[in-house]
Amino acid sequence: MKHPMPVNIVVAHALEAKALVKMLELERHHASTDFVEYSNSNKLRLLVSGIGKEAIAAGVTYLSEQQASDNGEIRAWLNIGIAGHRDASLGSAWLGNKITDHSSGTSAYPPQLIEGVEVGSVVTVDEPENSYPLNAAYEMEASAFYAEATKYSTAELVQVFKVISDNLENPVSEIDIRRVPGSIAAQSPQLLILIERMSAIAREYNSNQRLPGYFFEICSQIHLTVNQKLQLRRLCQRYKALGLEKELGRVAGRKASDARELIQQLTERIDRISEA
Amino acid sequence: MFSTIYIEEEVLESERVRKLLDRFPQIPQVVCDRYGEVFNRKSQNFRLQKIAPALILAKKYGNKVLAAPSGYGYNDSKSYYFSHMLNCVYDCRYCFLQGMYSSANYVLFINYEDFEKAIVEKIEENNGGGVYYSGYDCDSLALEPVSNFCSHFLPVFRRYPNAELEIRTKSTQVRCLLDTEVVPNCVIAMSFTTSEAAVQWEHKVPSIGKRLEALHKLQLAGWKVAIRFEPLILGAEGLAPYEALFAQIFSKLDGDRLHSVSSGLFRMPVDFHKRIVKLYPDEELFARPTQTTDGMIALKSTEENTHLMAIEELLLNYISSEKYYRCA
Repeated sequence: MKHPMPVNIVVAHALEAKALVKMLELERHHASTDFVEYSNSNKLRLLVSGIGKEAIAAGVTYLSEQQASDNGEIRAWLNIGIAGHRDASLGSAWLGNKITDHSSGTSAYPPQLIEGVEVGSVVTVDEPENSYPLNAAYEMEASAFYAEATKYSTAELVQVFKVISDNLENPVSEIDIRRVPGSIAAQSPQLLILIERMSAIAREYNSNQRLPGYFFEICSQIHLTVNQKLQLRRLCQRYKALGLEKELGRVAGRKASDARELIQQLTERIDRISEA
Repeated sequence: MFSTIYIEEEVLESERVRKLLDRFPQIPQVVCDRYGEVFNRKSQNFRLQKIAPALILAKKYGNKVLAAPSGYGYNDSKSYYFSHMLNCVYDCRYCFLQGMYSSANYVLFINYEDFEKAIVEKIEENNGGGVYYSGYDCDSLALEPVSNFCSHFLPVFRRYPNAELEIRTKSTQVRCLLDTEVVPNCVIAMSFTTSEAAVQWEHKVPSIGKRLEALHKLQLAGWKVAIRFEPLILGAEGLAPYEALFAQIFSKLDGDRLHSVSSGLFRMPVDFHKRIVKLYPDEELFARPTQTTDGMIALKSTEENTHLMAIEELLLNYISSEKYYRCA
């Protein structure tokens, strides 16, 4: 994994994290007293939130706050965890294409951009489900995860992946939790496709949105009002889109110390160059 | 073809939907209550959804036939548009749909009978006449093998010979038309830009040559065809690309038999433009200077009118001025 992987994985339980830590070569770090966290040098983060909707929402909020200074770059968010289904075989797994919150009755539909991964419905319940009335994976975090993570990223990059750990023949009360890491490890081919593809989309998005370094340079050198900052941001984007990033540096060389003057100079120059 | 097919529960059992779903058993199918749960939600990203668009099968409520924007049409008759589909299978960078919706999924309204009823009511309100545009919020033909739009709506207009249907498209899916007896009051209007613009901005669109081939077949079969030069985007190359485009088109099509030819400059509502710029800050087209008039944004050009008139002069070498109009 050479490329940066701007992906946040959130799991509810330490046993769900165990296989992922090994699979993704993550190391534990001790940034938080509330959550167990892992990461690697490729920007991949894994957080153990605790069980239930409140816990996972808090975990997502915590991670997003940690990453708030990433120059506006977005990250993909993936919830991985175990779930129950009435008749799906143990160890089968899918990406949620419909997430229904049982208590509110509302559904969310994560946009599906990734091929090669099984898909299916997910129902989030407040208490463990024993009868599994719908053809869906029953679990306890997905709806809250999706609602919270889409506040910090685009919906296409927020996904949930559920591995079946219990069914009518193997009820939730009899789960052997020692099998959880193995069930998740068995899904490594699908998970690696998913994580790689999500991170590729996030990387491309961030690359398209990347601002020239000049923008940050000027922001650190000259006082700009909020409106001026927006104007400068757009000007920098326009120079970049026209392949004129180097021109920005030349204007900087003129040492325009006044923000209004600088914006005016940049505007006049690019309008002159690009007008048909 | 589609990443997922979402189906409103209300239409799940309709015959049109059942037939359509039977054709794509390999595509994941997800039932929803209303298409608005899936389409155009906040936090969605049009650009990303273009990677793998989904199809949404839904029922259209409310107004189905709307007054066309002023200056949209080619004559003074009352003009209307209807959209049995939202969004387009193509990915044209200049398209206003990118700013209109946050979702790139295709919504196909399958209650064609309700559209038909609304169209007929409007035709009768207009004493059997009026001009009806299809292809404002979508490309009417591009999804024809899935939608069967033509096979439903052409017979409607055949019954009302004084009402005119314009099908706006960039698609070469004309088999449905060639297999049908000509409907004299139906016009197939194909949009073109220069080959340079097509390469740069019209992603997934059939080549100019293929589109011309399709129009040629239609013209030979007796269908009325029209040409829409939209949007005109002037570049550093000047008029040469337009000279080449016109020469290519009129070497293939009979200019005298064209129904009409129009041109329109690049323009869209300011709010749409703002949203598109956020999606494509890296796009050269949107880095150009712009000017705003009455809430509409256009590319700024001090010589716009001179250029437009020069293009029109070139065009009028091939067609009579009676056939030509400028789209407002």
